[in-house]
Amino acid sequence: MGDRRRRLGGILGFAAVVALAAGAAAETNVRSIAVGLTCESLPRTVVWKGDDASSKISGSLLSLRADLGMPGGIVFSLSAGAVLTDFRGLEFNGLPIGLAYDASPLLGLAFGAEAIVPLHEFSGLEIGATGRLVYAFGMSKTWPLEGFAVEGSAAGRSSWLEAAAGPRLTWRRLAGFVPYLEIQARWLQASFKMSETLEDLQGEETKRVRGDFSFSAALGVEVPLSDRLSLRARAGLLPRSGGADALALVGFAYTFEGRKGP
Amino acid sequence: MTKTPRRLLPAFPALLALLAVLCAAPGPGDAAPGRFQKRIVRGAARWSPPAIRTERPIAGRRSFRFAADRVLVRFRSEVSDEYAEGLLRSYGFPGLRRIAGIGVWSVRTAPGQSVAETLTMLRRNGDVALARPDYRARLADVPNDTYFASYQYSLRNLGGVLNISPELQLPMTSGADIKAVTAWDEARGDAETVIAIVDTGVDLDHPELIAKLVGYGHDFVNGDEEAGDDNWHGTHVAGIAAADTNNGAGIAGVARDCRILPVKVVAADGNGYYSWIIDGIIWAADHGADVINLSLGGDVDDPFLEDACRYAHDKGVVIVAAAGNDGQPGVLYPAAYDDYVLAVAASDYNDALAGFSNYGPEVDVAAPGVWILGPAPQWYVGEGYLPYLFASGTSAAAPHVAGLAALLRSAKPDLTVDQVMQIIRYTADDINRTSLPGRDDHAGYGRINMERALVPYILR
Repeated sequence: MGDRRRRLGGILGFAAVVALAAGAAAETNVRSIAVGLTCESLPRTVVWKGDDASSKISGSLLSLRADLGMPGGIVFSLSAGAVLTDFRGLEFNGLPIGLAYDASPLLGLAFGAEAIVPLHEFSGLEIGATGRLVYAFGMSKTWPLEGFAVEGSAAGRSSWLEAAAGPRLTWRRLAGFVPYLEIQARWLQASFKMSETLEDLQGEETKRVRGDFSFSAALGVEVPLSDRLSLRARAGLLPRSGGADALALVGFAYTFEGRKGP
Repeated sequence: MTKTPRRLLPAFPALLALLAVLCAAPGPGDAAPGRFQKRIVRGAARWSPPAIRTERPIAGRRSFRFAADRVLVRFRSEVSDEYAEGLLRSYGFPGLRRIAGIGVWSVRTAPGQSVAETLTMLRRNGDVALARPDYRARLADVPNDTYFASYQYSLRNLGGVLNISPELQLPMTSGADIKAVTAWDEARGDAETVIAIVDTGVDLDHPELIAKLVGYGHDFVNGDEEAGDDNWHGTHVAGIAAADTNNGAGIAGVARDCRILPVKVVAADGNGYYSWIIDGIIWAADHGADVINLSLGGDVDDPFLEDACRYAHDKGVVIVAAAGNDGQPGVLYPAAYDDYVLAVAASDYNDALAGFSNYGPEVDVAAPGVWILGPAPQWYVGEGYLPYLFASGTSAAAPHVAGLAALLRSAKPDLTVDQVMQIIRYTADDINRTSLPGRDDHAGYGRINMERALVPYILR
């Protein structure tokens, strides 16, 4: 019930962002519309509630994206696509029969909303702010539990929500490409509900990450390939104790009206 | 003169048979032993025990447990060290270390790169001969108790011969055990988890037990607060369940870090009344027992005895009881109270069911119960003998299950009694599946498997 409520909350939150963006787009004239395909890697090392050791949530997103260019250089982006989330190493020791997750990544759906707001520009350096919300929820997957005296199975479902915001510095004086630097504060909430059934022996455990907070730094670039087609790439690091998680994004965008840089 | 454990084979059946006679009798006056009593055979000849193995092999761990930020790489023999180092640096690995002597490099993975990604990348390189995760090992955590390796096949059976005496050499089947060693890596119990041994009492000064006792318990036979053992049975049972383990002497207990609450309900001659057993169960449940072991039973179904079991069950106590040693249909009471008690049959060093083990629909699981080494009072075994003895019976099987129940209670305190009982049942190995596949009346769901009950199942 709680998970359903959270999922509903996530969808409603996303819908609210979409509505705001749509409202803004409706009220103000949309200067440009760009659509594209984006492939993104979002790994995050976390410590699940109740665990001592850290483990990694690795999200791989393939999404369709629409960028709405507004007056003042503001860009609202909406995305939707598939996500593969890897939870390898996660253990569910609260279940009657403990389970250790070493299965393939879970397939799910992801929705995202992003805003880029330019604040000030001098001598080709644009100072702006970005904010982003990604909500991913996995489809339920079932595994047989073998080797027991009775037949059994386990079923898992996951979801995560990441919000990120921070300053963005864009250098617009270079010919042929537009580089930028993003520093972001990132907040992650995740849950993975696992249930198991062995005849009349049943159990359910939900692992949670409640508001894991981190910072990232990323360098990105937009390279116009033609008047309307552009390549987007971004790579960054998310430092953690003992190392860092690497962020990566690559994608293409096709602009229908005019062309709007990042 | 070398000290040695004594043999005592049919003593458990004798005790249970006596109780059966007692329970069938209409009154105390009819409780004379007789028709089922068997004479105790004691090993008269002293013998030299075989050399005790001291090697401590490392048991395997689950495969995904390796360093998350490191891999090991070996290059082909024609690749120079300088070239190898340069190649590894070209990948951008933040740390390199050459392990001298075997030409292997320990490589720290690049930030954000998983071990699998790193290995895939390295294996694509034609100069790399072998790239492996840096697997995690652990201490070879086999308890150092003197007789663990040689005699406690029930906990870890590596095959070979069970050397009871020069005349009694029993070939064993490797793996015919309850998989205790692997399970101990996950759970060893804790001092807060208490197993009540409701039996003949416990030798309160026995070196295997003295540090494990919660207190002196209660004696319902003599009506005092000191449940000493004037038989030997309870001491033996208590040691199987939770003997002092890894103390460099004697034997290992199943619930190695759990404690024992002694409760005496059977007299020195092996007789006890249902009223004493009822009192013992209720007293144990009221005095902090998490698990009650009842290596005893009678033929007669008695609602008061069942009520006592229900009382303890409803207070969150897991009750384990012996099925009986008559080798015939009819599980003894209280083991037969299926809703509240786990009934335990006996298996042997080859995972065969013991011929003396009672059977019936109430049997839940089996556990090793043939030639089980356990502690015994020194006064009982006599001077010149070690305070241990071998014994057989479902009485020796039940405390293995009680020990597992205690480990489950300590590892997962939120589980209900019924869940603990189901875990023990459903994780058992179906040892007689060739003749009776699935649950049957002889082995129940099978011989208990501590590893399956306690070590997480890997979802792949």
